[in-house]
Amino acid sequence: MRLLPLIPELVRQLFREPATNRFPAKYLPPTVTGFLRDVASGKTRLIPPVPTPPEFRGKIAYARDTCIGCGLCTKICPSHAIELLPTKKVRIWVDQCIFCSQCTSICPKSSLSMSAEFLLADEDRYSENLIVE
Amino acid sequence: MAPDEKKAPYTVQIGPVHPALKEPVMFTFEMEGEQVKAVDFAPGQTHRGIEWMGMRRNPVQIVHLTDRICGICGVVHTLSFSLAVEQIAEIQVPERADYIRSILHEFERIQSHLLWAGVAAHELGFDSLLHLTWRVREQAMDVIENLTGNRVNYGIVQVGGVRRDIAPEQHPAIEQCLSAYEGLLEKLLNLFLDDRTIAMRCRDCGILTRKDAIELCTVGPTARASGVNVDLRQDYPYAAYGDLDVRAILPEQHMGETHGDVFDRIVVRLLEVGQSCQIIRQCLSEMPAGPITAEEKLAKLLLICKKAQGEAIGRVEAPRGECLHYVRMDGKESPTAWKVKASSYSNLMSWIPMLIGEQIADIPIIVASIDPCLSCTDRVAVVREGQRSILTKEYLHRLSVEKTRRLQR
Amino acid sequence: MTPAGIAVILGWCVFFSLFAIAGGLFLLGVDRKLAAHMQARIGPPIRQPFIDVAKLLQKENVVPANAISSIFHAAPVIALASSIVILFYLPVGSILPVLGMYGDLVLVMYLLTVPALAMVAGGFASGSPYATVGAQREMVTMIAYEFPLAIVVIGVAWRIGAAGLASPFALATIAATPIWTVVGPIGFIGAFILLLVLAVVTPAELSRIPFDTQEAETELAGGLLVEYSGKNLAMFYLAQGVKTLVLAAVIVAIFFPWNLSGFLAMPPWLAIPADLLFFLVKAIIVLFFAVTLVRVGMARFRITQVVSIYWRSLSVIGLFGLILLMADAALPALVGVGL
Repeated sequence: MRLLPLIPELVRQLFREPATNRFPAKYLPPTVTGFLRDVASGKTRLIPPVPTPPEFRGKIAYARDTCIGCGLCTKICPSHAIELLPTKKVRIWVDQCIFCSQCTSICPKSSLSMSAEFLLADEDRYSENLIVE
Repeated sequence: MAPDEKKAPYTVQIGPVHPALKEPVMFTFEMEGEQVKAVDFAPGQTHRGIEWMGMRRNPVQIVHLTDRICGICGVVHTLSFSLAVEQIAEIQVPERADYIRSILHEFERIQSHLLWAGVAAHELGFDSLLHLTWRVREQAMDVIENLTGNRVNYGIVQVGGVRRDIAPEQHPAIEQCLSAYEGLLEKLLNLFLDDRTIAMRCRDCGILTRKDAIELCTVGPTARASGVNVDLRQDYPYAAYGDLDVRAILPEQHMGETHGDVFDRIVVRLLEVGQSCQIIRQCLSEMPAGPITAEEKLAKLLLICKKAQGEAIGRVEAPRGECLHYVRMDGKESPTAWKVKASSYSNLMSWIPMLIGEQIADIPIIVASIDPCLSCTDRVAVVREGQRSILTKEYLHRLSVEKTRRLQR
Repeated sequence: MTPAGIAVILGWCVFFSLFAIAGGLFLLGVDRKLAAHMQARIGPPIRQPFIDVAKLLQKENVVPANAISSIFHAAPVIALASSIVILFYLPVGSILPVLGMYGDLVLVMYLLTVPALAMVAGGFASGSPYATVGAQREMVTMIAYEFPLAIVVIGVAWRIGAAGLASPFALATIAATPIWTVVGPIGFIGAFILLLVLAVVTPAELSRIPFDTQEAETELAGGLLVEYSGKNLAMFYLAQGVKTLVLAAVIVAIFFPWNLSGFLAMPPWLAIPADLLFFLVKAIIVLFFAVTLVRVGMARFRITQVVSIYWRSLSVIGLFGLILLMADAALPALVGVGL
């Protein structure tokens, strides 16, 4: 097998576990919503995703009470995802967010932070899940 | 083509969308049987107007925009842009930040080269090798994610320094990854270079002579594989590379001779993975303590950038070759001019001497062999009334002369 | 022939057609699963080819504007039909060839080219440069692998004939007398070489890597099949599955014709299904070494390299095997003369 060095490796791999993480299920379920319903009712088990690293930059979290409405975050946001409301609070459009975490580092009151949540796919870009305020 | 020559009997168009191309570019091949007689290509299919967007943002925001010029080179473009802005604003980057930049830069090179190796294997129809290299690449991605918080679009470099420090507790993870790669490199070299089928397909295929490589101003691994000794890290050190021992990798160091073919490009890239591991090791051991950014307060940094006036060029040795950002600031919030020259821009023209005389079967691997990144490259798309038009060199030259006269007035 | 006899034959034909389609798709599924596991992936479930075909059958047939419509539509039908027909001449498990009395191994060899020719016709009729290049390559490949294939067929049949058996080309004879049992030690090596040659011809017959230049996804975007969609593509897909089964059946019939019922005494109602299952197991093993392992372990060749491999290397190796078989048959006679 000197001329085809990959063959022994392939045969060895045949008897090993595949490298794929089977999140959320081994094969695509017939209906995803049905699958999620089953998971919620405890009928099936969700195979967990690969854990996120420390200081992962996921969906933004906003502590509304500590916000002083300085608007620095709106100035620094590269994708104009943050809107300063007349009430001196901000609204974050997560569908536009690029997860750079620049706003969390400029915020003087540390009102903004990045959570570990990353399952943000949605059919509606204005859905409740994708607006933080 | 001379009039007495026989006209090629048929044309094959590859692109803008084709399985051989990972990014859109349009090729027109004049074929004779299976052989390529003439070739033309038209880039400009993925123009996104990034520079236009940049001119409406401040440097701190642009840094994150540069992250997205390329899907792979997150550090390269941000670093290149930051270097330019730091020169204009006369910001002194702390030494520790320089070392962290170099470490991330080399991790990026590792993952980019492994990604390329996988793509090259796929173009040859060798999907198992694709799966293997990309599985191996995950280790680098995991370390990058650990250090920066994201797998791609790291958002780690900022004007004046870096945004995250490398903590001592992160060293074991890096060390583990590096030793894994050093062990794997031997295996990868064996899998790619000793495989008979890969040698049959890549040896003496898509040759770029040393002369052509120099005349066409190729950069990076494409030039090095043709025996041209260029590497920005050795010729024009930036970040921490001045303190480090970096020498350009040339194929004759490993193979004893230079062919300038696809095979040599594989050799150069795989060896650079090993080189990057050594550089990261050296960086980790020599990294000084200290601050990681020149200006911690972002609001103050914005103010400094706003006051800055002048122009500068930031040059960085990307995994694909030299990447260059030109920035001009006139004391306004956003730069008045920002020009990006990605490394693939310099390499595209080398396709023509490589492709002529080769077979259809070799087109995908030759096209992939320069590791083209077209969305990085495409800066202009001219569409007038729905018609595309070609701007010649003479026309562009006339335009720039006119503009210079206008400015002089 | 009596009407009852015709009815029996027709019944078997229908059974074999269904078996060919189901078995072929099953083999494709197993191939994909094994390949995926070798590449450290999970891969699709084994029933995936059935799902694919079901989906394709619901899709629209798109005919390119400059295609020759009649040939374009006829090609997939011919490819599928001819692939199924080959199976009627082959022994499957302990079932003797249904149409065995009307054709032998030479006919099978000819029939094997028909699906490929249908694909060539379909490719040329597509009116796309990719398909045209693919069709040209398919023809060249066909010419390239025919010779080594012929060497194998003739070598084995000739050796069985030399052993004094009547009608050596008939598959029933070949299946009843495994080549390994009639040869001496030299012939054993010769037969083994021919087995290897046939194994190398298989990927080209099935247009799999490294000999899939005619479809070459990264070069020709599917080559011959680039313009096919919907039901036509489904038929080509089925033909691919049936061809896989047929090639496995050819190798099994020539080189591994043993049946479970030959070793274990079992009632006839059990023997046929048991032997069919055993046949599938043999087919999977043969295909694993001839197709799956090869296709995941190698890069694709250029068309010029395909030709030189088959014409030069493989033909020489095949002829060497043939000479060994001949020597094996001639040796006792020569030794006898010497005495």
